[in-house]
Amino acid sequence: MEAVAKKKYAAKDYKSDLKPIWCPGCGDYTVLNSITRALAELALPPEQVAVVSGIGCSSRIPAYTSVYGFHGVHGRALPVATGLKLARPDLTVLVTGGDGDGFSIGGNHFLHACRRNVDLTYIVMDNQVYGMTKGQASPTTAPDWEGSKLTPEGTGINPFQPLVVGLASGANFIARVSSSDPINMAKIIVEAIRHPGFSLVQVLSPCVTFRPEQAEWRDIVRTAVVDYTDDAARAARRLMTDDGFNVGKVLFKGSRPPFRPEFENSNGSVAELEARFAL
Amino acid sequence: MTAKSVSLVIAGSGGAGVVTAGSLLLDAAAKAGWYALMSRSSGPQIRGGEAAAMLRFATGPVMSHDDSFHLLMAIDWDNITRFSAEIPLTGNSLIVGDPAHGEAPAGLLKNSPRQAALAMTDIAGKIENGRPNMVALGAIAALIGLPAGAMQAVVEDNLKRKGQAAIEASMTAFHAGVAAAADLPAIPKLPAVAADSGPRWSITGNEATGLGVIRGGVRFVAAYPITPATEVLEWLAPSLAKVGGMLVQAEDELASINQIIGASYGGVPAMTATSGPGLSLMIESLGLAVAAEVPLVVVDVMRVGPSTGIATKSEQSDLNIAVYGLHGDAPHIVVAANSVSDCLFTTQWAVHLAEAMQVPALVLTDQAMGQARAIVPKPAELAFIGQRLTATAAVEGERYKRYAMTGSGVSPMAIPGMPGLTHTADGLEHNEFGTPSSQASDHHAQMDKRSRKLTQFNYGDHWADIEDSEVGAGDTAIITWGSSTGPAREALDRYSAAGGKARLISVRLIAPVQPEKMAAALQGMRRVLVVEQSHSGQFYRMLRAFYDLPVETRSLHQGGPLAFGPGQILEQLTAWSA
Amino acid sequence: MSNDLKSGDAINTLPELLAHALAMETEAAERYGELADQMETHRKAAVAAIFRRLEKAEQEHLDDLTERCSKFDLPHYAPWDYHWSHSESPEAIDITKVHYHLSVRGAVLLALEHERKATAFYAGVAQAAADAEVRTLALHFADEERQHIGWLEACLAGCGPTDDTALDDPDPPLSQE
Repeated sequence: MEAVAKKKYAAKDYKSDLKPIWCPGCGDYTVLNSITRALAELALPPEQVAVVSGIGCSSRIPAYTSVYGFHGVHGRALPVATGLKLARPDLTVLVTGGDGDGFSIGGNHFLHACRRNVDLTYIVMDNQVYGMTKGQASPTTAPDWEGSKLTPEGTGINPFQPLVVGLASGANFIARVSSSDPINMAKIIVEAIRHPGFSLVQVLSPCVTFRPEQAEWRDIVRTAVVDYTDDAARAARRLMTDDGFNVGKVLFKGSRPPFRPEFENSNGSVAELEARFAL
Repeated sequence: MTAKSVSLVIAGSGGAGVVTAGSLLLDAAAKAGWYALMSRSSGPQIRGGEAAAMLRFATGPVMSHDDSFHLLMAIDWDNITRFSAEIPLTGNSLIVGDPAHGEAPAGLLKNSPRQAALAMTDIAGKIENGRPNMVALGAIAALIGLPAGAMQAVVEDNLKRKGQAAIEASMTAFHAGVAAAADLPAIPKLPAVAADSGPRWSITGNEATGLGVIRGGVRFVAAYPITPATEVLEWLAPSLAKVGGMLVQAEDELASINQIIGASYGGVPAMTATSGPGLSLMIESLGLAVAAEVPLVVVDVMRVGPSTGIATKSEQSDLNIAVYGLHGDAPHIVVAANSVSDCLFTTQWAVHLAEAMQVPALVLTDQAMGQARAIVPKPAELAFIGQRLTATAAVEGERYKRYAMTGSGVSPMAIPGMPGLTHTADGLEHNEFGTPSSQASDHHAQMDKRSRKLTQFNYGDHWADIEDSEVGAGDTAIITWGSSTGPAREALDRYSAAGGKARLISVRLIAPVQPEKMAAALQGMRRVLVVEQSHSGQFYRMLRAFYDLPVETRSLHQGGPLAFGPGQILEQLTAWSA
Repeated sequence: MSNDLKSGDAINTLPELLAHALAMETEAAERYGELADQMETHRKAAVAAIFRRLEKAEQEHLDDLTERCSKFDLPHYAPWDYHWSHSESPEAIDITKVHYHLSVRGAVLLALEHERKATAFYAGVAQAAADAEVRTLALHFADEERQHIGWLEACLAGCGPTDDTALDDPDPPLSQE
C-alpha cells in the first residue's frame, strides 16, 4: 500500500457500453477486467491508449474498452500495432488476440514482432482452440485432442510453444498468467506495459464451450516458484522444461532497447530533396 | 544529317560497364541541354550478366522509345541475342562491334542493318587504365553530336573520388573513341543545344513516385523489397528521414500493408510500394482499409505476371486485380501514372485523394517507367497535400460516431490522442459508432456512404490527359493508360504531322469510373482505338463494361514485356482512316 | 466461517477499512452487473434478473458508502495490495465460474458463497482490529452483508430442488467470424 493522491481512473472507466458476446464463463472476461484494472492502476488517460486486435473471440476486446481500438483482419494485429506505435510513440499500444490469430495465421508477424522489439504489450489468450469457427484445433492444441470434426483423430502435431519461440525470437518480456487469477494478471500486465520493448503475456484462458475440460486448469495451474531471470539461456531452459502450467510470474525480462527507426532532425525540406534532381 | 531524336543501345556482358556507360551518356546529354529517356534490360544474373542500356535523346521532351534504334554499340556479343526482340533494328540501323569479339550473331541481322567495326579492346589496351566502354562512349558521342566537353564534366563528377589519373585515363579513352568514329558510317546527329534550355530534372519513375509520396504528405512508409518497386522504397528511406518521416522494413507484404494501416489510423499519412505478387498478398487488408476507412496509398510498379512472371520486365496486367481484386463491394481509388514524370503528379494526387476520402488509393506504374531514367522538364509545383477531415472536440453528452452519415460520405475522423472521441475502427460491418452490426440496414447505409465518398468527389480535369492533333480532334480517339501513353502520344504527333486528326485520352483515374467525363471527351468521336499492354485486353474490357463506346471500337493489346512502338499505333490509325 | 484476511495483515484505521469496503462494493456491483449483462445477452432472463437485483442492492450499498467515504482521505491500494486472501475481492463472483446454462438456483448459490465471504471478511477485520471504531464499522458492514444473505436464502428456498443442473442445449454452437 502506498499513500498517494486519489486515483484518477477506475477500471470501469476503461470499459465501453458494449456488452461482450463471449460465452458466460469465458476466460476472456477476466482478461478484459485485468486490462482495465491495469490501465486504471497506470492512470493512463483512455485517449492515450490503443488496443489493436485481429480476428477471434479474444480479438473482440478493443470494442469492449473505452480506449482507441482497432479491430483488423485475421492474424495482422501485430503489424497494425507496429505501424501505430512507430508512427505515434506517445501512445500506449496493447495487442490482444488468441492462439490461432497470433501463432498460426499471424505466426510470421509474431516472430518478427518479438525480434523487432517495438514497445508493445501483446496479450495472447490461449485456449488451444478456434472458438469463432466452432472449435477446431489451434497451433497450441495437444496432438491427441479429438474434439474437432476437422481433425477427428487429433492433429498428431506437437503444439507450438509460444513462450519458447517468443524468447528465441527476441521478446523482451515474457510472462504466463492464468485467467483464474485476475488480480495477478493485472499486476503482470502493468509490469508488461511498463517494461520497454515487446512484452509477451500468455494467458491460459479456458474455452467453456469447446474445451469444457479446461475448467480443470484452475486446479492444475501453480504459481511459478522462482522469479524472473534476465538471462535468456536460463529462461530458455526453464521454459523448455516446464509443462505450461507455471503461471503468475514474469519469466524473463530482457534489456534490449526498443526499436525506433533513426531519423535525422526534421530540418530538411522537400525542396532540398527536389534539388537533387535538378540539372 | 540532323534529327529530332536519336536512339541507341549499348550492350555487353558483365564487367563491360554497359550500365555505367549508359548513365554517363545520359548525364552528358543532360549537360548538353538535351532531353533523354534511358531504359535498361538485363539477364537473370545478380552480377556479371549481359546487359543493355537503351537510350533515346532529343532536343525536346522524350515520351517514348522509338520504333527502332539507330545504333547498337556492342562492347561484346555475349548472349546479346536475348535482347534482340527488345532492340528492333532496321536496314538503316548501324551495329558497331569489336573485332576482338568476332562477328555479330545472326540473330541481330534479320533486317540487314549496316555493320561497322570499332577496335575498342585494342584502342583501350594502348591507354593506361583505358577501358573499352569509354572508347565506345567517345565513338557514340561523335556519332550523335554530343559535345566532348559535356562528357568531360560528367566524368570529372563521377570519378572525383578515384583521382585525377582515373579521370585522365577515361577521357583519353573517350577521345580515342571520338577519333576512331571518323571511320564509322554516319547515323543521325542531334543539333547541339544551349545548356540553358529551360529547367530540367534527371529522374527515374520510381524516384518521381517517391517524391510524389513525400510531397503529398506521407511520413510513414513500410517496405518489403520486390522488383521493380524496390527503388521507390530505397529512395524513400533516406529521403523520409530528412523530412521527419520514417521507413520501416517489414517482414512481408502482409505486414507492410498492415503497418501503414496502423500508422494512418494513428494520423500519419502512410504508403507502401510493391509489385503484383506483393499486391496480391495485400488485397485482404486493402479491403480492411476500405471498411475501416483508413486512408493509405499503395503503389504497384507492375511487372509481367502471373505468379513470379518476369520480375524485371513490364506489363500493364494488374489492372484487373487493382480494380476488382477486393472481395465484397469495396469502393477504392485506382490511379495510373502515364509517364516517368507523371509518377510524381499521380502519386501526389493519390495521397491527396486517399486522405480526402479516407480510402485506400492504388497507384499503378510499371517497370518500364519506374526503372527508366529521363531528362524531363522540371515538373510543376502541385497544390495537392493530403488533407484529412479530422474530428473536432467531443460534444458533451454525445457519443462520437466514427462512421457518421454525412452528405459527402466522409466522416470526421478522430485520431488517437483526441479526448472524448475514442472508438474502435472495425473491418467488421458496423453502424455509425463503429459497433459491429450484421443488420442489413447498417450494411446498406455504410456501403452507400463508402460509395458516396468516391462518387461525389470532384476529381477535376485530372481524371485523364486529353490531347488533340494540332489541326483538331477529328472523329478518332485513342484511349490508353499508363506506359502505353508515351508511344500513343508520339503516334498522335506523327499522325498529326501527316495531317491526321485524332484525340488522345490517357485515363489517369481508373476507378471510380467517370462516365460523364468520358462521354464528353468522346463527343463527336466515331472511332476509338484502345491501346494497352495486356494479353487479355483488361483495359478494353473495363472500358466496354463502364463506358459508352462507339460501334467502331478496336482493341490494340499485347502482353509484355515488349512496349508498343509509336509506329505500331500509328499504323492502326492510318490503316483505319485509309 | 473462515477469516478472509490475508494472514498477518490487519486493517487498523477507518480510511483503510473504507478503502477496502469501497473497492469490494464497487467490484460486487460491477460484477453482478456484468453477469446480468451476460445472461441478458444470452437470453437468460430469470438468472439475469437475480444478478440485476443484486447489482441494485450493491449499488445502494455503494452509494451509502461513497457518502461515508467523502469525509475521509482514503489511501490508494493497487488491486493486488488489498488485504483479502482471494484474487479478487470476496464479494465478487469469479466470472469464469458461470455458464450460460446457469440456473436460478445455481446463480443464487454462487451469490450466497460470495456474500458469505464478504461477511466473513468484515467479521475477520472486526476480530483483528485494535481500533474500536474500525471494529464497530466492520461489524456494521458484516450485518449489511447478512441482509443480502437472508434475501438469497429466501430465494433459494423458492427454487425448485431440480433446478440445480444445467440444461442441455438442443442447438449446436454457431460459427461466427
